[in-house]
Amino acid sequence: MRKGVAALMATAVAVLSSATYGASSIAPLPPPYAGAYQPVGVDEIGAWREADEDEQMLANSPIVIRDEALNAYVRQVLCDTVGNDRCKAARIYIMRVPVFNASMSPNGTMRVNSGLLLRMRNEAELATILGHEFGHFEQRHTLNRWKATRSATDLLSWAQVFASLGSSYQSYANFNDLELSVYGRIYRFGRDQEREADALGLGYLNSSTLRPQAASAVWQNLMNEQEASALAKGVKKPNFNKIAFFASHPPEGERAAAMTMLADPAGDNREDGGARYAAALAPLLPSFLDDQIKLNDFGASDYILSALAIRGWTAPLLLARGDLYRARGNPRDLVQAAEFYGKAVEMDATLPEAQRGLGLSLIKTGRRTEGQAALRRYLELKPNAADAAMIKMLAPVAGGQ
Amino acid sequence: MMNKTMWTRSVAISAVVMLTVPVALANGYRAKNIPVEVAKSAMKVTPVRDWNSLSIRPGKKAETWTLDGERLNDVTFYGGIAPGEPLIRESSKKHKPLPKFTSETLLIEIPELLEGTYRTDKGIGAFSVTGSNPDHFLGQDGIRFTYTYVDADNLPRKGEARAAVIKGQLYMATFDAPRLHYFDATLDDFHILTDSATL
Repeated sequence: MRKGVAALMATAVAVLSSATYGASSIAPLPPPYAGAYQPVGVDEIGAWREADEDEQMLANSPIVIRDEALNAYVRQVLCDTVGNDRCKAARIYIMRVPVFNASMSPNGTMRVNSGLLLRMRNEAELATILGHEFGHFEQRHTLNRWKATRSATDLLSWAQVFASLGSSYQSYANFNDLELSVYGRIYRFGRDQEREADALGLGYLNSSTLRPQAASAVWQNLMNEQEASALAKGVKKPNFNKIAFFASHPPEGERAAAMTMLADPAGDNREDGGARYAAALAPLLPSFLDDQIKLNDFGASDYILSALAIRGWTAPLLLARGDLYRARGNPRDLVQAAEFYGKAVEMDATLPEAQRGLGLSLIKTGRRTEGQAALRRYLELKPNAADAAMIKMLAPVAGGQ
Repeated sequence: MMNKTMWTRSVAISAVVMLTVPVALANGYRAKNIPVEVAKSAMKVTPVRDWNSLSIRPGKKAETWTLDGERLNDVTFYGGIAPGEPLIRESSKKHKPLPKFTSETLLIEIPELLEGTYRTDKGIGAFSVTGSNPDHFLGQDGIRFTYTYVDADNLPRKGEARAAVIKGQLYMATFDAPRLHYFDATLDDFHILTDSATL
């Protein structure tokens, strides 16, 4: 029955999207690349100059991840997707922001959030997003959007005058909120521009060596994650087919269906680069996971963990799951946390944080002696730990309390 | 014609004044050497120099003081957080819940509680606890820990906090300041202020 409803909804979405994404079913190959582009006219020159200033700030930003291997990998995926001539126009910045997002400025600055990298399952999914953002860039969407909403900046100039007169943090905060909402609207693309970029992104993907069918999975996974998050919070399930008045993007339901349609069926047996992606992300995965888990969004975090564990649970994944359950902290969560940490320790006895988590959750569930033993192992593995003195109080070395 | 311009000008000026004055009136002042209760709790501090107290409280049981201005050197007191309560006000209980202090929370987990609160509230990714040590706070065994983070305004900040759990309730004082200049310049003031805290 549920399947039937889902199929019906998928059909309805497909009908809707065939109207909005144009008549052609498979995304056409991208047009030949026009080559290096320079801005034309005052508006575009101004927009580029602003983007250049933003990029200069970005170069010194403390939240840019400068890991060479990861940066090289993401660049390689972009080049494999859009082609070597096109990818020269982009400079990629990986930002430590635990939110699903990426963007590209008109001057070629591409920002990719760590939260996005955490949610991608394979190279083809990452290529979908990078190709989409590059599509915006190639079509120069920002400029058109910017021209249409230029008048909004007049409002901001006046607001700034008042905010500086107010000279309190509150007035700056109010101004920042206003600035955010106004700029948010200026820089958000119209939904049709998004659809155009989706089609162009799929065009790149169709002509690449990666499996274009993975594109639809990106939106499918995002919907599943939002459902899991809503379920754990006890709030209403989001409606993925409704277009909100201020929505900047087409609804996820529509996009998932459209992506399936735009993907070239001939590419279905190509590889999606799952193993390569996992290997490239592995060194930074623990820190990305940590950033996600500490956002206190239990449902979404648990969904992401389970999705990453599809190839099997590893010690870092189990450690993160233990942290997630220990942070929620219901008595049943603590018992489960101890179990997850225990498994992590079994798989990798040299992971100090797993010993720490195991020790703390055992102590909290009344198994003090076992817990203290684990904490002592933590100190053996990491004698200079930042919290060593606190741990020593919980687990005195002399054996026994 | 001239009159009209003058009139427009005076209206504009009075509008500006009306916008700015209530903000200036709202914040408080804590004079030196006068013991004062903080964070709507029995926790008392005696400042040895004058402090400003902000009218905007981060939470029902929290209160922020500053020397040079909000977010330049903030001391935030948390007074008697009970099990089941978050440290600060939740912007949306349903959609963006904050981590809660529980009766099972260990002293060593207080840094994680503050970290989770900051990360969730500010939506930031870069936060790390750089040290935690046993400490005396409010005459009890407590914890003193340090941390660094990049705030939502992209400015790297440093922090230090002291906390104790007394009769099942959490009492804490945190110090947050930009890593550049302000943290080191006013850390001693935080130490002196929190050393004077009693319950």
